[in-house]
Amino acid sequence: MTGIESVGAYAPRYRLTAEAVEEAWGQFHGAGVSETAVPAGDEDTLTMAYEAASSALEAGEVDPADVTALLVGTTTPPNEEEAMGPRLASTLGLPEALETRQFTGSTRVGVDALAAGLERDGTSLVVATDAPRGAPDDEIEHAGGAGAAALVLTPDGSGSVTERAERVEAFPGTRFRPRGSEETTGLGVTGYDRRAFTDTVAAAADDLEADLATADAVCLQSPNGKLPYRATGALGVDGETLQRGTTVHDLGDTGAASTLLGLANALEDGHTDLVLIGYGSGGGATALAVDGDGVAVETDLEGAETLTYGEYLRMRGDVTPGEPDGGGAYVSVPSWKRTLPQRHRLVAGRCRQCGDLAFPPEGACTNCGTLEEYDEVELPGTGTVEGATVIGQGGAPPEFVEQQAREGAYVSAVVALDGPDGADDAVSTPAQVLTVGDKTVEVGDRVAATIRQIYTQEGVTRYGFKMRPLEE
Amino acid sequence: MRDVYVIGAGQTAFGAFPDRSYRDLFAEAYESARDSVDDGIDTDEIDEAVVGSLGVGGRQLGLSGPAVTEHVGLHNTPCSRVENACAAGGFAVRQGVQAIKSGLADVVLVGGYEVMTDMSGDVTKYWLGVSGETEWERLTGTTFSGVYAQMASAYMEKYGATNEDLSRVAVKNHANGAKNPKAHLGFECSLEDATSAPAVADPLNLYHCCPTSDGAAVALLASEDVVGEYTDERVRVAGVGAASERVGLAERDSYTGISASQVAAETAYDRADVTPEDIDFAEVHDCFAIAELVAYEDLGFCEPGEAPRLLREGVTDPDGDLPVNTSGGLKSKGHPIGATGTGQVVEAFDQLTGRAGERQLDDPRYGLTHNVGGSGGASVVHVFENEEVAR
Repeated sequence: MTGIESVGAYAPRYRLTAEAVEEAWGQFHGAGVSETAVPAGDEDTLTMAYEAASSALEAGEVDPADVTALLVGTTTPPNEEEAMGPRLASTLGLPEALETRQFTGSTRVGVDALAAGLERDGTSLVVATDAPRGAPDDEIEHAGGAGAAALVLTPDGSGSVTERAERVEAFPGTRFRPRGSEETTGLGVTGYDRRAFTDTVAAAADDLEADLATADAVCLQSPNGKLPYRATGALGVDGETLQRGTTVHDLGDTGAASTLLGLANALEDGHTDLVLIGYGSGGGATALAVDGDGVAVETDLEGAETLTYGEYLRMRGDVTPGEPDGGGAYVSVPSWKRTLPQRHRLVAGRCRQCGDLAFPPEGACTNCGTLEEYDEVELPGTGTVEGATVIGQGGAPPEFVEQQAREGAYVSAVVALDGPDGADDAVSTPAQVLTVGDKTVEVGDRVAATIRQIYTQEGVTRYGFKMRPLEE
Repeated sequence: MRDVYVIGAGQTAFGAFPDRSYRDLFAEAYESARDSVDDGIDTDEIDEAVVGSLGVGGRQLGLSGPAVTEHVGLHNTPCSRVENACAAGGFAVRQGVQAIKSGLADVVLVGGYEVMTDMSGDVTKYWLGVSGETEWERLTGTTFSGVYAQMASAYMEKYGATNEDLSRVAVKNHANGAKNPKAHLGFECSLEDATSAPAVADPLNLYHCCPTSDGAAVALLASEDVVGEYTDERVRVAGVGAASERVGLAERDSYTGISASQVAAETAYDRADVTPEDIDFAEVHDCFAIAELVAYEDLGFCEPGEAPRLLREGVTDPDGDLPVNTSGGLKSKGHPIGATGTGQVVEAFDQLTGRAGERQLDDPRYGLTHNVGGSGGASVVHVFENEEVAR
């Protein structure tokens, strides 16, 4: 039976505290949330999905080439239309013979994607990634966090899902986002909203034979830090059992990723007898009983920098200028597409004449001058800084003004990427180095590649590699 | 092959002239160059024109060459425009020398022009930045200041150079430029001013970066067969060297030297049959302070890593053994991209013919000009000789 091989989880480095919001608004409506995770200016649900998925693949020592299906759940995909699966698959190095499914429209879709994955044979990658937003002064916004969780499912995965149940009951108006809107909203009818949540999740849980009272942890959908605990009575669990299965207090509402981030958190803490309950407005719930014994876990959820409310508005792009009128450097989308193997997966070339590496593998070999085809080589993704500068306000070219406005000064560097044989077999490339706060980058620092937004032009976001210091 | 001589050279002031056109600026430089020819020259005696420009900020992408030469009355004279980013003007001079040496022309106008300061900062950054390697380097969010800053970080790490070492370039060049009525930023600055200026692209600060300027420069070249018709002075183009290098920094073997400059200098010295020790003064491409340090080493004025010492010991001051950038350089005199390389030739001509006013050096024989495109993708070096001093 298809089981869970490994789990990965990721949350952005930046945090916004309840106090900072209260200072700005006089009130904080994110009940039970002490701080929320805030995506960096160049992060979105696709880049967070990459982070979580690559951790899951690494934890399970699963070769991306073996994955036959990619199932992604999110309520906030980068575009309302245009699938994120193909690009996510490209960054992860998944094969092109791949089934992809994108689930959206409900915070339940993370768990739904997992349920769909369990139906399949072969190796599946399930990713839940989200960053819900509301109106600046409402409870959805104040509770809104960000994060992603990913599961690798294999035919012999040691984590087993022993039973499953789903329930729906029509409860319109509790939480919705009209087409074209960036802000999720709700009517805020407290008792009604509570009933919609409690009745639905309890009904789904009730359909399981598993006894929630004896579970190590119950990973329950957490739109805020209070609502889940309203369901303790209906579910027959104590608050502590729920708390072991949620990240809402420290990351905020992670939408479609909420329940699976709770799963990652519970597994990381050594809890294995678990019940997952995803809930989405409309309303419906999916419940799964999980024996997580032997599942490999790799989480990356720690915060590193606390933002002021002003910095938070900048980071989200609420008060930033966008691309200036002068226009930016133009790299056409077709020519960007041509370089995706390099930008997504660091595919270099080895010169057939002298054996030196070339990146990108185009043109004459910079070592021996030979102009012929290269043999493809995938680089491991680590490297060493050879030269670096900090681009401050006013120093960014037009197409990077928005990034500078959001995140402040950024580091642009020349990095020697390690070859398959290590640092002695390196090839250099220009790359941004991601730093948090006032951290600087020195020549000689070791760095590793990740995926971020490079820039957006003509409405099309270009994703590519950036480097992150290895010692954070 | 025939020898080539500079019979006249002139330029506009470099500065911010947002209400002037590039043709108007070119005309002023042309008149100034004509006025400097001892026995005069008529427009119809010019056989050929080669001019350099990055593209005048995109307002005239094609045919700006004929637009300026026809504007000054060089009607039906062949004109071609050379584009090699900031080295466009220097390469135009080299093309003019080639035209004469080949026998195709006897008198050639070479020059350059640019108008940049009437544009918004964003447009200027767009325009300048796409002269670097666009697809990869630019898309890490750098402009030229960023790329030179990366070179500076590598240089400082390798040789232990400091902010003060970079700042001495600004102090020296501003002191020189303060004596140049054509300078864009003709004021002096202290070491304290230069070391404590706000950061532009760490480790480079405002005083480590040249301005963006408007201006034009023109030099008139003649073959040995006709030079006597124009002047008794003999400012010979003793040697020319040029080379290209990979446009993106990461593609290069070294970030602390520019191989195009090294090759260009070797070639120029070889053709002039001189060594770096023979050079009496030099105009080098100091678009950023680090570029002047690297230039000393690329041009063979000192060993790698020794440039900060040269500055510290005053070797390149006007009263030192090898004065560099007596005009103020790009830092103080200014940097109107396409005009910069020819503007260096104007200073060399003035110094070699005793016209440099307050900046005049004592009877120099050999002067060198060094003009770099981008962060080193193209470089051209000329060695000029006053044959009278030789005798």
